[in-house]
Amino acid sequence: MKLPKCCASAGLIVALLLPICGQCQISPAQADQLRAEIGHRIEALTVLGGDYLLGGGTFHSRTSDNEATFDVSKFGGSGEFGTLQELGNLNIAWRPRVMGNMGTDTVTNRFSAGLLEGDVSKSKAFGIQFGGGARLWFTDEFSLAPTLVGMYGHTTNEYTANSAFMMANLATAKAVGLVDWSADTWTVRPSLNVQYLFAWDRTLITLSSDITYFHTESFKSSSPNLNVNGDSETWNNKIDIDIPLGHMLFGHELRTGGYYERTGFYGDIKQGLNTGYINEIHGRLVLDFLNELPFTQWIGLGGSYYWGDRFTGSSAGIDFYIVF
Amino acid sequence: MPNGTNRMAMVKATAGTLLLAVATFALAGCWTAPVATVQPKGDARLIQSGIPVVAVKDDATVQSIDADQRLMVLNFSDGTTATVKAGPEVKDFAKARAGDKVRVKVAQELTVYVLKNGALPGADGKPESIKSDARVLVVEPAYRLLTLQYPGHPPETVKVGLNTKLFAMEAGDDVVIQTTQLLALRVKKH
Repeated sequence: MKLPKCCASAGLIVALLLPICGQCQISPAQADQLRAEIGHRIEALTVLGGDYLLGGGTFHSRTSDNEATFDVSKFGGSGEFGTLQELGNLNIAWRPRVMGNMGTDTVTNRFSAGLLEGDVSKSKAFGIQFGGGARLWFTDEFSLAPTLVGMYGHTTNEYTANSAFMMANLATAKAVGLVDWSADTWTVRPSLNVQYLFAWDRTLITLSSDITYFHTESFKSSSPNLNVNGDSETWNNKIDIDIPLGHMLFGHELRTGGYYERTGFYGDIKQGLNTGYINEIHGRLVLDFLNELPFTQWIGLGGSYYWGDRFTGSSAGIDFYIVF
Repeated sequence: MPNGTNRMAMVKATAGTLLLAVATFALAGCWTAPVATVQPKGDARLIQSGIPVVAVKDDATVQSIDADQRLMVLNFSDGTTATVKAGPEVKDFAKARAGDKVRVKVAQELTVYVLKNGALPGADGKPESIKSDARVLVVEPAYRLLTLQYPGHPPETVKVGLNTKLFAMEAGDDVVIQTTQLLALRVKKH
């Protein structure tokens, strides 16, 4: 479902290869920039694949000299389990929260102009994460959920040189870790969710805000020039509305609703994704299975439209909400 | 530090907001656990009868079986007993024996009251005693869920129909449960 960003890698390669063209070598300063930019990209792709940031789908982004396609596949979720327990005598309830997600994303850049015309750069990332925390209920409506998640990521790049320029410089680009690289990374992801949930007749309205910090380091890479050590933050604000329609279909009540959310990017991920924010508007039509099918709140169809400062995208598919 | 200013502004704004929210609610948490032993508001009355639900009972015991009539007497863990008729779709009916531990899915009908001292005013003005099986613990109209508290047993949540008057119900209402039909059965232990 979603996604924007990617032209970062395209622009990066162009920008970093231009000096090669002019000078036929990379200066130490350029090499440092190269390491940092690739590190940002790996960090961003790992988060993109392994975190909740974006759902599964195919996205396109186009700039003046390249076209990028993002293919994202994900499986995961989060939720609380067990009954609410009172925390001492504080008039605060809590229950454990678990989070798990795994996914892949492939970003394919096809260069359509300039020195790299005809070249294809494909970066693939796999990410898997697991963690948890607790949700603390201060009233029936207001809650906080601090969580800590660990994530593993594996990112690779394959470069197909068709341009005369890149065919002449491919060995140099490989040597400095610009293309055909791979890296294994770990990420720690502390997060705090603030939620206010209230009912209006039978309609549920949820306001939530998530602030998440990512620290990523590489522990294995194909090139000594490739060293990831970065920090990123995201801030997601969301309003969700869940409306029962009062009509039964196949023995289950139809529900509709959707959400609007805006995710702001800060730090390395902003550079790695080449965008400062993503907006998403989502609609759904589902059947209510809560308390009728284990671990299922609803199953149906949903679709999203995404836009940011450098991309747009859309997705549609099965809307399946899991609960514990 | 091209993003330093934005990042710091974002972090400060977020941290300030969150700290204020956390401090406010941490100092004045006002969540209270739901309780079923409260007296509902208003006069004693019938709220609604014949509310169909499907309940799953994980640890029922077969007391007796009438194979010809396809009737089974079940003892539930909440202490209640019910005689239920099994439809033809209950394939494991023939495998069950008296004394077996079984997991069953049963159709039930709920009648929900507000009672005063366990009674309703009768037609002649005299109190009519009602023996309730459970009390309402939580009402969730959004997903049509009714959580019932049985005496001495964990709460159970059931899904009710669209026509159920959930907004007229509240914690503490008395519930009389009639088990009407056996929908599914699995023998756990002979």
